Amino acid sequence: MLLEQLSGNLIQGVVLGAVYGMATMGLSLIFGVLKVVNVGHGAFVMVGAFVTLFFFSSLGLNPFIAIPAAFLVGILLGLAFYYAAIKKLLNAPELATLLATFSAGVLLEETVKMIFGSEYRGFNWDVGKVDLIVTALPMSKIFAALGSVAIALLLYVWFKRTRAGSAMRSVVEDSHGARVCGVNVDGVYAMSFALGIGLTVASGVLLTMFIPVGINPYMGGGYTLKAFVIAVLGGLSSPYGAFFGGLVFGLIENTSYTLFAFIPGVEPFSLTRFLSFLILLIILLIRPTGIIKAK
Amino acid sequence: MKNRLSPYYPLLPVFVAYFALFLVGRNVEGTWQLVATLLFYCALGQAFNIFLGMTGYVDFGYVAFLGVGTYGMAIAITGLANFPQLGLGIVAIGFVLAIIMATLLSTAVGAVALRLRGAYFAIATIGVNEGFRFLIEGANLWNGSSGMIFTAQLNEILGRDLASRVMTLWADILVLFIGALAAVVTLLYMKSKIGYALTALREDEDAAKVMGINVTKYKITAFITSASFAGTVGAAAWALKTPYVFPPEVFEIHYTIEAIIIVMLGGAGTLLGPLVGALIYGVSKYYLSIFLPGVQLFIFALVIIFVIVTFPEGVVGVIKRKTRNTAIGQYII
Amino acid sequence: MSLLRLENVTKRFGGLVAVDRVSLEIKKGEFLGIVGPNGSGKTTLFNVINGVFYPDEGRVFFEETDITRMPPYKRAPLGIARTFQIPRPFASATVRENVAVGAMFGFQAKTINVEQSLEIADKVIERIGLSSHGNKSAGVLTPVEKKLMEIARALAMKPKLLLMDEAMAGMHPGEIDNMVKFLREVAQEEEIAIVAMVEHIMRAVVNMAEKVIVLDYGEKIVDAPTREALSDPRVVDVYLGKGAKEENAEG
Repeated sequence: MLLEQLSGNLIQGVVLGAVYGMATMGLSLIFGVLKVVNVGHGAFVMVGAFVTLFFFSSLGLNPFIAIPAAFLVGILLGLAFYYAAIKKLLNAPELATLLATFSAGVLLEETVKMIFGSEYRGFNWDVGKVDLIVTALPMSKIFAALGSVAIALLLYVWFKRTRAGSAMRSVVEDSHGARVCGVNVDGVYAMSFALGIGLTVASGVLLTMFIPVGINPYMGGGYTLKAFVIAVLGGLSSPYGAFFGGLVFGLIENTSYTLFAFIPGVEPFSLTRFLSFLILLIILLIRPTGIIKAK
Repeated sequence: MKNRLSPYYPLLPVFVAYFALFLVGRNVEGTWQLVATLLFYCALGQAFNIFLGMTGYVDFGYVAFLGVGTYGMAIAITGLANFPQLGLGIVAIGFVLAIIMATLLSTAVGAVALRLRGAYFAIATIGVNEGFRFLIEGANLWNGSSGMIFTAQLNEILGRDLASRVMTLWADILVLFIGALAAVVTLLYMKSKIGYALTALREDEDAAKVMGINVTKYKITAFITSASFAGTVGAAAWALKTPYVFPPEVFEIHYTIEAIIIVMLGGAGTLLGPLVGALIYGVSKYYLSIFLPGVQLFIFALVIIFVIVTFPEGVVGVIKRKTRNTAIGQYII
Repeated sequence: MSLLRLENVTKRFGGLVAVDRVSLEIKKGEFLGIVGPNGSGKTTLFNVINGVFYPDEGRVFFEETDITRMPPYKRAPLGIARTFQIPRPFASATVRENVAVGAMFGFQAKTINVEQSLEIADKVIERIGLSSHGNKSAGVLTPVEKKLMEIARALAMKPKLLLMDEAMAGMHPGEIDNMVKFLREVAQEEEIAIVAMVEHIMRAVVNMAEKVIVLDYGEKIVDAPTREALSDPRVVDVYLGKGAKEENAEG
């Protein structure tokens, strides 16, 4: 019984974990290249969820069409925010970018609230289910996981095969050296920030498959925390570390939820969220450079 | 020219402002509620500034200290309700408990997170308030997610009259004193080795270490001081003023946002900054809520980005720079 | 008794050996020049001496006490002060406050109070010629003034050992001469041992040093009294191809 439930949750965990991983790649990319922590991360995820909602509910389109649209929205938001604030703060104390990204998150939340209101919304994209004996998985979730893997692979190819990608990698390795070698570091900063935000907003589309009625301007806060746990698991500055961190986190989250449910008198949902915070502290304490090594 | 009191001149504008606030609130009909809100923001900013302003570290989970402070008072009042003869002593115990709980939480968080530098510290704190809230809810601590309501116990302990005066007036006056005390402590720190050490580590932590400064010790000192003040603010402004506590309310990140706005707007690391920031924020929020309801946070998020990009030293920081070496300058730090 | 002694100190970064089995010894009041091209491991050596990095192998002794794994903030009160290659002022604080921080947490940390620190700061600032800048924010000083302020800050610590990382780079010859004269006086008066690190064999610095150590790729290749060191063929080798022959001749 427990075993069946656990293995069912394991599968759910991997599927959700892949999406979590993809949703954290942007955060790690931005930190890796610019050394800027996007504390408003969750708000950008939320924007993606609203883009999906708009595509599905208002236009009646397949939510997957929302991915490129969300990506584009993210790129534009990223560029605007980079040139309006981040660029001017790169040499300021860390406090400045932390507060600026945090405020940008608040700004997005409030903007979306003014447009769409603050009630919970959702949509149901019913494309059938797959029965896996121990658990049943909606096809929409499987598509989301496959989409995440596909985006991660695309990013991988882009990093390895394009000039822009290799310029970005060289800046991650050594920004000073890259500048000396003629890499347009300022351009790479702008591009990485935009790409990071683009990926984050796009991930919001995929995450909506897991929250049937959870779309709300303030939904991002929880994702910010999760994204940090995941990013730190993966070493904070590596998008691929983040992807695998997401898988691990998805498994931890689902397993702990299942196990806490067996303890009488506690609320497993809350305790799981407390646990993820605890994991964050523990990793930061023992190994701030990350548990998973991936390049 | 110089006398022994001159280092304390900067407290003068702080005390004058508090006194003026008090007079306005007591004498102008219908202003006490606004004044009480402003006093809360002043105390919140003054307390947060001891950490954010003096160390340059940002704690996104700061509201957690107000939250546990509220619980401290709640636990004292509900736990000791059977000993009404203790009267106001219970309130005093509540404050002590609030300080102890905030100190414990800040020591625990600080011991882990303050070993980490800037960005990693901020990441570690981003979940403190949520984490603690979910611990209380998840493990069913202190009534879990149903929270605690203790108006009846407060009435029993203090008697109906006194209890209602505490809720409508004395709680706010206590908040005023907490804010003023936090300002005094800020100045004492500034004038002592602690202040010099904090300035050094805020500007360049590695250089500070090499200069002989035990940076972790000073960061923790500032963190715990700041957290204890936050705990008392929670105990007075939340638990005593409105005798109930619900986890989602007292761990709401919204208050951390407000604290950041107040400190940055007024001038991080200055003595007068939090007060000026609190007044600007509180008054404009009040009028925005009348004329443009629902867009306050939107506007303040824009303001904070604008402040960080154009004058990161804040209003008082700019005034301080302009008046340095002038007669007014000795009152503004 | 030696003031500072390094025994076979090695520091690696990944596969790169930044400092390779370096031993050295400095006595009270001595002036040691460490010479080496960029990337030769000089700064890493300083970082090992004042505790920013712990060595992978070897030991560091200060006044015969093993300080190999002592955190930097505990070393300053023992009497170790340092200036940085690129000055690192506490930018928002005034020059006076910057220098006072040195006095406050340096050798006299346990006994000194804030007022006394500020008095010492005023004296040191005056002596080094920054009096007119005392109440300015350190951030607005010129690069050379920042270097002076760092030296003042280090001297206010009342150190027994002063580590100077390219302290005179970017100064005019006249400024260098003044600085050398000033350092000589102070060092003699207060019995400060100085370790000065220079990239090029600067006439002024080398002439002042009693002993010169030459580093190359983290390895100590020469450790000799100044005269001998300068005529050592290996020193010339290190600088060959860098146009340093002329500079060497100049010294």
